Amino acid sequence: MFYSADALKLYLILGLSSGAAGGLIVLMIPRDRRRLRNIITFIFAASGAVFSWLTALSVFAGKGGRVGFASGELEWSLHPDPPGAVFGLIASTLWLFATVYSFGYMAEKGGQRVYYAFFLFSLSATVGVAFAGNLVTLYLFYELLTLATYPLVIHERTPEASAAGTKYIMYNLSGAGAILIAIIITYRYAGNPDFTGGPVLAGVSSPVLGWLLVMYIVGFGVKAAIMPLHRWLPAAMVAPTPVSALLHAVAVVYAGVFGVIRVVYSVFGRELAGQLSISRVLPWVAAFTILAGVIIALRQDVLKRRLAYQTVSHLSYILLGVFTLQPCGLAGAMMQMITYPFMKMTLFFCAGIIARQTGETRISRMAGVGRKLPWTMAAFVAATLGMAGTLPMSTFWGKYYLMKGSVAGGMWPFALVLAVSGLINAACFIPVAVEAFRGDKTPSCKEKDGWTALMFAPTVVLVVISIVTGLVPGIVWPGVEAVTDWFFG
Amino acid sequence: MIADNLPAFVIIVPLFVGVVLPVFARRLRLVEGLVVLAEAAGLAGAGFLAYIVFAQKGTDWVYQLGGWPAPWGIELTVNSLAVFFLLAVMAVSLPIALFTIGNLKEEVGGNRRTARFYTLFLLLVGALAGMALTNDLFNTYVLVEVATLSCCGLVSSRGTPRAAEAAFTYLILATLASSLVVIGIGFIYVITGHLNMGFASQGLAEVWQTKPHVVWLAISFVLVGFGLKSALFPLHVWLPDAHSSAPSPASAILSGLAVKGYMICLLKFLYVVFGPDLMKEFSVDRILVLAGMAAIICGAVMALPQDNLKRRLAFSTVSQVGYIYLGFGLMDENGLAGALFYLASHAAIKSALFLSAGAMISATGKKKISEMAGIGREMPLTAAAFTAASLGLIGIPMFSGFVGKWYLITGSLDTGDFLPTVIIIAGSVLCAAYLFPVIRVAWFESPQTANQENTAQLKGPGAAQKLALLMLMAVIFILGIVPGPFIALAKNAAAELLMFR
Amino acid sequence: MKTLLEKLIINYPYFFAMVLFAIGVLTVLTRSNLFKKLLGINIMGSAGYILFIAAGNIRGGTEPILHTSDPGAVYVNPLPSALMLTGIVVSVSVTAFALSLIIRLYKEYGTTDAQRIARMRNEVTESDSSDRR
Repeated sequence: MFYSADALKLYLILGLSSGAAGGLIVLMIPRDRRRLRNIITFIFAASGAVFSWLTALSVFAGKGGRVGFASGELEWSLHPDPPGAVFGLIASTLWLFATVYSFGYMAEKGGQRVYYAFFLFSLSATVGVAFAGNLVTLYLFYELLTLATYPLVIHERTPEASAAGTKYIMYNLSGAGAILIAIIITYRYAGNPDFTGGPVLAGVSSPVLGWLLVMYIVGFGVKAAIMPLHRWLPAAMVAPTPVSALLHAVAVVYAGVFGVIRVVYSVFGRELAGQLSISRVLPWVAAFTILAGVIIALRQDVLKRRLAYQTVSHLSYILLGVFTLQPCGLAGAMMQMITYPFMKMTLFFCAGIIARQTGETRISRMAGVGRKLPWTMAAFVAATLGMAGTLPMSTFWGKYYLMKGSVAGGMWPFALVLAVSGLINAACFIPVAVEAFRGDKTPSCKEKDGWTALMFAPTVVLVVISIVTGLVPGIVWPGVEAVTDWFFG
Repeated sequence: MIADNLPAFVIIVPLFVGVVLPVFARRLRLVEGLVVLAEAAGLAGAGFLAYIVFAQKGTDWVYQLGGWPAPWGIELTVNSLAVFFLLAVMAVSLPIALFTIGNLKEEVGGNRRTARFYTLFLLLVGALAGMALTNDLFNTYVLVEVATLSCCGLVSSRGTPRAAEAAFTYLILATLASSLVVIGIGFIYVITGHLNMGFASQGLAEVWQTKPHVVWLAISFVLVGFGLKSALFPLHVWLPDAHSSAPSPASAILSGLAVKGYMICLLKFLYVVFGPDLMKEFSVDRILVLAGMAAIICGAVMALPQDNLKRRLAFSTVSQVGYIYLGFGLMDENGLAGALFYLASHAAIKSALFLSAGAMISATGKKKISEMAGIGREMPLTAAAFTAASLGLIGIPMFSGFVGKWYLITGSLDTGDFLPTVIIIAGSVLCAAYLFPVIRVAWFESPQTANQENTAQLKGPGAAQKLALLMLMAVIFILGIVPGPFIALAKNAAAELLMFR
Repeated sequence: MKTLLEKLIINYPYFFAMVLFAIGVLTVLTRSNLFKKLLGINIMGSAGYILFIAAGNIRGGTEPILHTSDPGAVYVNPLPSALMLTGIVVSVSVTAFALSLIIRLYKEYGTTDAQRIARMRNEVTESDSSDRR
């Protein structure tokens, strides 16, 4: 692999712009050329993934590239560091899975041109968030992500979808407003330096810092679905399933989580954050969201909404690890961040397959589905085990390190919270799986066609990867270690 | 000779061409060509003056009309503020003039009336250029009157009864405001004996402690007068009717530039003539900040229920004017620079919004937002211009509104007061609330079954209109992506204003 | 109190100017007849003229034409009068424009009462097809 300075810049720029360029080209393809559009989408999603991998690997090898652009008194810069590399990797890789799945799921639906175009735009925006080098660039791509995902949320064009879209925009723009105020306050203290140069606010002391942290957390917490800022997420489930799976289980919400990681570790830094009294409250907020999210999930009948609340809960696993300010905790958070999406996407993909083949979206009516779609439900069961955090699924390791980190930080109640939530997660979904295989009714099921294979394949691959990484966690460990080394020196 | 007298020429050329136009009324192409030529000349002149200001940092070029020195003659100062606003006026009015080509005859009714529209248009542009440059109190009043009458004429140019009613209301209220302004000027003249802004400022500094009531009266009259003209909340009631009854290019220049011209005059009165110390003494800064915050919120809230697209945009102007007044009241270099930058940015954005709205209304014959479903498919460029301008107004980075908001928030944080910051952000969210539905309806809703009456008379935007929209989008993006020189100019202007005692 | 009355009497032009201004503003805002509003505007204009011209006056001064025979003459300030000529011209233009608008409104609605016009306009709003743009 070429690691010259120019090559690195090239990888960075290409990784970022693949999505945008692809989206523009897709918009220009006539509406009826479906195969061409699918091929183009896949090519650009793949190229985005390839260049993100190249960038990430170069970062792990210790040589990230930098692209800067001065605009007035501010500077936009792309400057990936290990956390950004990890996020960029996950996002662009999972995008491929979601793209292939979309080919199958969206096969007979309308509005595909807009869908695929903005799907690709969102990829660019997410990669931009990951590789952003300073706060202002992060904010730029954060806002662009909101805008790029809006047309996907309102895709169904029903009144319900429009209402969900409006809620989505209002919540996210309000959060972004809070972030902007916090960024400007930070700028007045410390300017706009790159994240790679150490914590931005290092050495600053001011009574305002506690409030500043709160403002950042509230701002990023909208996307990271911290309660009570999570209300947009269940509403956004009106979007097509691939959108819900990728964006609202992985990309958009991870942008929020990533933002929180940046704030706590790259802006404040571990020592400064530890000194603020508000930092002791934050883990409790995360713990509350973990429990409340999963309890509310129990009461949902629509499968996607149950998954949405479970997402809310699981995102706070990562945030809990971040807020412990311990290396083990952060390792657990990163482990969770890397392994959880595989299983979450599996669950959503299964929900989508069920919805497309049988037309059922409500759990109470899914009795006996397992007989018609046995492989789907097998994947579902495997993913449920992952949500509960049991071996052989990879999320076990994330939970393990999170618990270790909580205990190490002297915060053992959180280990308890994690254990309890694991049990409740199991309670959420095991009954569904059991119902699916037991029930005496067999719902009507459409014939499986070529498109269905495109939906099955990614699902199966995701499960396989989860099991493999669960048995051999060493595969993902280097990424986790790179991040903890980066922040804890 | 032109270079030596450039400040005067920048004002006179539009005025002269405007007055001469009705002679050629029958040859519409020639008229349109002359208008564009005059605008281009104005832009070139403004650019050259900007270059001069950049080149000689520190010393302003003080041009004396007719060679008469102050305090007997009228001065035109070419300083950063003047050049900034002059550039904004010329850069935005040129696309608006381009937009009117080929579009105006049916709307206004005939060649002769179109020529008269252009006359009023150019008179307005000349008056705005004068407002940027002038350094004399009564000269300001004269230019304000020229602008007022041109604006009223533009509002009534359609000839419909509703336009006449809106124009009459606007005329009465605007003349009321002008009388307030002239009496304010009268008070200043009575106690200082000067009409030149610099000399009046010195006179006021000497005299205000012995005659505080007169100064207070003068400030109040001037503030209310210019506030009424620039639709500062709660003096904004004339604006929605006036701006929605006018043809779209007229609405564009009214909302985008005319309102801002009066604000620049007020800025000069408050900062140059009275000075920051007197402003603080009489709490003018607090009043501006409070009125600005009220305008931001109330304007946005009133825009939400409007179904008529142009009325919604008119209320949006009321809200955005509040941002600029908020910046004026902050009395801080960053805040003032932000307000000035926001002023220029909003001029381009609002013009783009009104022009694209006008194109959409012309092409479909419908005025309400709910009836314009799916128009993005039929007129992609126009709808894209509307979308880009809306995103600029909301404050997305890479668009000009973001830079303005950045400096406004920095300025309000400098003063230590947190409420303006929150209001600025709340205003952005409300802005999204009233603009996103339009974007959603335009792009993401299917058009209802076509029931076009008068389809033969409706037409889509032509080449000139598309070029105009592209130029405005270019301005928005340039201000958003490479604002460096413009921010430097705005900061210079702010520093100069704050240095006056 | 006595000195206040004295001050008012000495400065009677300014006092009258303010009274006229108040009358003008009240007329504009409270009367619904369009002509009366226009008259209110003119009255306000007159107030402005009086203010300026009285400001320029010097009691006991002579007219501002150069008297070469009398080097110590005190001249009344000619500038305000010149300025107010401009103001009068502006006022005339405004009056002319407003009158033409009133004629247009009268032709359409048959009345010069602002409230009745507003009522009639609201009734016509739904079927306002001629006002296409």
